[in-house]
Amino acid sequence: MSDVDASTPAGLRTRLHVPRWVWGLAVALVVLLWRWSEVSDLAATGPGRTIALQALLTGLLIGGVYGLVAMGLSLIFGVLEIINFAHGAFLTLAMYMTWLMAEYAGIDPYLTLLITPVLMFLVGAVVQRVVINPAMGQPLENQLLLTFALSILIENGLLLAFSANPRSVRVDYATGSIGPLEFPLRIGGAIIELPRVMAFIGGLVVAGALFAFLNRSRIGTAIRATGLNRTGASLVGVNVDRIQVMTFGLGTAVAAAAGVLVLPFLTLEPTTGAQFNILSFVIVVLGGLGNIGGALIGGILIGLTQEIGGLLFPGQSKLLPVFIIFIATLFLKPEGLFGGGAE
Amino acid sequence: MRRTRYLAVGTAMVVMLAACGGDAEDEATSAPATDGEATEATEGMTTEPASEPATAGGPGCAELTIGSVHPLTGGLALDGTQMDNAAQMAATDLSTDGLSITIESADSQGQPEVGQTEAQRLIQEGANALIGTYQSAVTTNLATVAQREQVPLVIDVAVDDAITSPDNDYVFRIQPNATAMGTFGAQYIQALGENSGEPVETVVYMHDETSFGTSVLAAFEAEAANVGIEILETIAYNPFEVQDVTTEMQRVAAQEPDVLVVTGYYNDGVLVAETAASVQPAVNAIVGVAQGAYDLPQFPEDAPDASNGILDSNYHFDATKERVQDIRSRFEEEYGEAMRTAAVLSYQAVEVIATAAQSAASCDGADIAAAIQDVEVSDPLLTFPGPITFDDSGENENAQPVLMQVQDGAVVQVYPEEFAEADIMFPAVPWQ
Repeated sequence: MSDVDASTPAGLRTRLHVPRWVWGLAVALVVLLWRWSEVSDLAATGPGRTIALQALLTGLLIGGVYGLVAMGLSLIFGVLEIINFAHGAFLTLAMYMTWLMAEYAGIDPYLTLLITPVLMFLVGAVVQRVVINPAMGQPLENQLLLTFALSILIENGLLLAFSANPRSVRVDYATGSIGPLEFPLRIGGAIIELPRVMAFIGGLVVAGALFAFLNRSRIGTAIRATGLNRTGASLVGVNVDRIQVMTFGLGTAVAAAAGVLVLPFLTLEPTTGAQFNILSFVIVVLGGLGNIGGALIGGILIGLTQEIGGLLFPGQSKLLPVFIIFIATLFLKPEGLFGGGAE
Repeated sequence: MRRTRYLAVGTAMVVMLAACGGDAEDEATSAPATDGEATEATEGMTTEPASEPATAGGPGCAELTIGSVHPLTGGLALDGTQMDNAAQMAATDLSTDGLSITIESADSQGQPEVGQTEAQRLIQEGANALIGTYQSAVTTNLATVAQREQVPLVIDVAVDDAITSPDNDYVFRIQPNATAMGTFGAQYIQALGENSGEPVETVVYMHDETSFGTSVLAAFEAEAANVGIEILETIAYNPFEVQDVTTEMQRVAAQEPDVLVVTGYYNDGVLVAETAASVQPAVNAIVGVAQGAYDLPQFPEDAPDASNGILDSNYHFDATKERVQDIRSRFEEEYGEAMRTAAVLSYQAVEVIATAAQSAASCDGADIAAAIQDVEVSDPLLTFPGPITFDDSGENENAQPVLMQVQDGAVVQVYPEEFAEADIMFPAVPWQ
């Protein structure tokens, strides 16, 4: 949409066409100058540089997790065109599964990456089949209310089963040396904690596996086909109903993997996953609807925005710059940074 | 794009819902319940004016109904349920032959409007007094109802200063309010430094950005100037969204304060402690002021490597008192979980109302409220330096927090000395 030149007929140009990315750049510059005292504080002193480096590292690491959560949401939206409000609740459910296994069976939380997402795939598939499928093709608000009700149901079910008492799972090798690396790792004064590195790397691995699955496997191809054109896919013999069940399960499994990865550094309550909901929606819009790669990059961008915004606007909610980006995206590039649509 | 618009609408909805959830501000910690020293019930009949007064003055009070409004569902249900149970237990303990106390429970769902409606319903159904509610926002609404309906509200937990006022004769608070929390917090930190010979001159203050954190900070700032403590920097965070405070902790480290002061809730408190243990800023101590995690027995269990030595100035049941020990052990026997300070405060609130109803010899709301204004409840269940009495605004004149510290994996009271179970360790940080 920004390259207007191609469609402009030759001849007299009476309007000045400014590409949208120029506006974006201008806004960024204005913010930088406006916050110049903060910026120079960070750049000029040793402790300031440590803080800035920490913000970059933290933003990158937490952004990888945001990206993973948003990928599941984007996948579901891209194929089913359903806004899944229960995404965060599924994430919480997965965390409780892992907590149970770690607490009562003594299983290392990272090992449950092999179990929890599989169980959550089944949960997601059943939920799609039984609850969501009847609402497919109905007005948007019906689906919204349905997934919203689902999230309330899950949260309160967890509350009933586990009470609101906060739980936590910690791995004892989080501090100590692994090979030549001494955790928590110190780089130029900045701190990197093992569980956060694990979450980031784990997120990339799961994302890679999801890409490979979607691009290489037959089912993945069918999922992409359904996302592109449901009628067309069914015409060439894709069982669209089954693909929708699988996609919802897959999206839920991705959320579950993210839940497992964040558990070793968060405290678990029945409402823990809900905080990922807002960010995920913002990221999905930023990355382009149904654009799964865009969701991953968008997640990292939002992670960085949050941390650096927190430094430039101290005393404000870290979410403020995130929402500014959200609104700016809707105005300037509503199709998302990387374009929408299933790949 | 149609889909973008849908998603934008969706996101807006999530944000609004999150904002509603944000109201669910839970108030720091829990309190111990008072055991009822079953006071002599005034022989009396009923509340009906028709019945003959049995005692001089009023018609007597035989059947006292107390409405208990707490979050029984939602994220705060754990404390809410404990508080409701404690109120029931107090009613049983404090009922006598002449005075039968009934608790009518209601669920605020953590929402101001729901709490208000429920309180109204309880009063219409005959509640003579109210206790509640664990959340400042909900309690604010109940305070209005109490005044309008002329029924006393005894606040068990809610910290916001603005809830009570000299203009409202029906609202009373047992726990220290935000101002008292912040003021005592600054005094205790100053004393901590002075007594140990390592004076505390500078602090960095990390706090949650809700009204809870900001109001405690405001009081702390005012008192810090009086006791010679300089606040180098204040760092706010959103307690319901926070997943990482490493960058914030680096800002603390860069300031090199004597003490890191923290105000907030449970999850964020654990996160701050764990991050501090990783970053290891050069501080002499981490001190919570009304911090919701650092005085709970669960905290050292959840953060074994990041909790030892951490202090917290907070309201707390008086662990040194036999009556408190008795109530807490009976509570644990009955309900299977350790009784938190919030629940002890609910017990205490029922005791205040029962004592007032007896001295008023009346079950009428206005009479009880007038009696609470003059009541003196001795032997409080919390670490207060004197009996519970209320000033013009309805604040407990002896409300005072106590300084606690995690030592060898347990939370113990360390200051002031009359409530101390162990000596203070200072300087002390978990990573040494």
